[in-house]
Amino acid sequence: MKKRVLALTLTFALAASVLAGCGGDKEEETKAPETQAAGEEGTQAADETQAAGDDATQAPAADSGESKGVIKLGGLAPLTGQYAEYGTGFDIGFHKAIEEINAAGGVNGYTFEIEIEDTQSDPVNSSTMATKFAEDDEVMALLGDFSSSAAKSTVQICDSYGILQLSPTASASDYAAMSPNFFGIMGRQDVEAPFLAKYVLKEYLGVQKIAVIRVDSDWGKSCYDNFIAQADKEGLEVTVETYATGEKDFSSLITKMQAENPDVLVVMDQGDPVADIFNQADAAGWEIKHVALGPGTSEQVVKRLNDKDNLIVTSPFFFDPDDAELTAWAEWFQSEAGFAPTIHPACAYDCVYLIAEAVKTIDGEVTRENLRDALANLPEYTGVTGAIKFEADGDIKRNYMICGIEGGEWKVLEGFEFGAAGF
Amino acid sequence: MEYILNQLINGICQGSIYALMAIGYSVIVGVVGMVTFTYGEIMMIGAFSSYYIFTGLSNNLPLAILGAFAGSFIIGSIVYKLCYERFFNAPRHISLLCTIGISMLIKNLAQIVFGPDTKPVLNVIDNTTFTLNLFGANLNIRLLQIVVIVLVIVFAVALTLFFNKTKWGVMLRAVSQNKDASYLMGISVKRTALLGNCIGCGFGGIAGILLALYYGSVSATMGASYSTKAFAASVLGGLVDIRFSALGGLCIGIIENMGIIFTSATFRDVFAFAFLILILIIRPQGFVSKKGARV
Repeated sequence: MKKRVLALTLTFALAASVLAGCGGDKEEETKAPETQAAGEEGTQAADETQAAGDDATQAPAADSGESKGVIKLGGLAPLTGQYAEYGTGFDIGFHKAIEEINAAGGVNGYTFEIEIEDTQSDPVNSSTMATKFAEDDEVMALLGDFSSSAAKSTVQICDSYGILQLSPTASASDYAAMSPNFFGIMGRQDVEAPFLAKYVLKEYLGVQKIAVIRVDSDWGKSCYDNFIAQADKEGLEVTVETYATGEKDFSSLITKMQAENPDVLVVMDQGDPVADIFNQADAAGWEIKHVALGPGTSEQVVKRLNDKDNLIVTSPFFFDPDDAELTAWAEWFQSEAGFAPTIHPACAYDCVYLIAEAVKTIDGEVTRENLRDALANLPEYTGVTGAIKFEADGDIKRNYMICGIEGGEWKVLEGFEFGAAGF
Repeated sequence: MEYILNQLINGICQGSIYALMAIGYSVIVGVVGMVTFTYGEIMMIGAFSSYYIFTGLSNNLPLAILGAFAGSFIIGSIVYKLCYERFFNAPRHISLLCTIGISMLIKNLAQIVFGPDTKPVLNVIDNTTFTLNLFGANLNIRLLQIVVIVLVIVFAVALTLFFNKTKWGVMLRAVSQNKDASYLMGISVKRTALLGNCIGCGFGGIAGILLALYYGSVSATMGASYSTKAFAASVLGGLVDIRFSALGGLCIGIIENMGIIFTSATFRDVFAFAFLILILIIRPQGFVSKKGARV
């Protein structure tokens, strides 16, 4: 009997932990009624949330007409695994936007709901979950995934089922062009990487010998290919080394790069590896300027850096402390997530508003096809992350700033005007 | 030459951590007699135990080592109770599957309890670098690397002394060599196997703190890749021989880092596992002699 009880307890615990790690289903079930209640009763919490949203964005106007139903969205996010921090940000960003929109009465009589599945940003998981959502006729659009590799893996599914996929963060320059159903709002590496070569390294830092350490992934390759094309034009001398996703030990790469005696160390990756590489370079006693392409103005990176005053990044976005609206959004996110936001959750938040804006332009019933067309033809929309206007291939081009850490805090070193001349 | 020597130092340091991981793994396999898939998570628990001691008690290294050992020791006892004790006489795949399930459970619970983000472990040991002139070449070695290598040697020697000079050590060796004979000699096989599993896990915990110190961070998912390396090193040493497993770990660390001289770090694991396959083709029993020398 004792054995049976133990076995049952273990089975339950295992199932509970895996479910807690992998799915957003239960959360969705509990959030939907709350959202509805907020919309109907106009509770204080909903009002506060709405106020923050109105400040930061152009919230779609509420439609006083009859309720036409619920538009269901399928979220693909790395809720566990090495990108879990970003997946958590997606989860919070998606739900925040949906709560605000529903609290304001929805759009054209539609309210929204989202079901998020954990993909760990793994292409296999991502395509499996995308199929699950695509099979569900009620799901009108996919939001995600985090990495370009995972986002690209759903191309045949999206084309077969005729469902659009809007990725908040995929930035490989060939991602959106793969399918008429693919959209992305992170900006593309064929702008950011050349900006790094020309404006950050050549003009701002005035360096000549560059050591690049990059992740060996779709995204990392796209970054480097675009970077090296511009670096060659600028006459920069570049040495590159790659590492596999998930790598933790960079000491050998650092020793190898040190032997080249470069002027600057550039890391092309996002999140933890950026801090790991620079910390291990510091630990090796290597005094060199640090530059990163990928993490943006991440507070997590600052928190994890040993030398907090030696990092320059490119960024299309900055949580300016002088901007009260953005600061309110960032503070709200911090209170929800327990860590400061990067551009990634802000992009997730904007993605939901873009879908809502597209729905707003549709007369009559919303289908997967007319939602895709409406999104593609959407006029310029200004969200938390700035102006968004889709180009013909479904991607957007952002402008970039040069940001750096001073006294442990991110500062804008050069604004958008620095790279205004283009390439 | 200078560059190659510096890469060798990196390899020895990383190999030392692999060696400690492999020692713990070999103790578990040797005494319990079954392969485990929880070892990566055991190391992660050790790393997190030390992280919370570092943040709560201002970088107290000895206490953190003790905490890492204790944390992993306790989790090891739970793993033993759940995965091994009841299945000694069952087919081996039962406990193997149990360890896979418990590994998933610990990893997912860790993400919920500790959070999904990577935590920094910084400035525990000074960033001092010593430069030695060796045959005209400047050899750079960090204080952290010295501390890691010394700690690994100290713990490996301590474990060897424990196995050879104490009553419990003799009992563990006896159980490792022949469980039935040990039982007939009056040794409590289950209790001894529990202790062996916990000691192996405790060493995994210490390896976890060294990983945290060396790479400056801890995360709930950090264990997976290292458990594969521990297993590979242990296989090289014949699975149950701690000396040869340590040698296996050291070799893998050095091979990985020397391989990077010729190509990129993307192929780090290719070098490690190609070396493993090569050795197993030549010597299927690993480095250990055919007669075998358990624990």
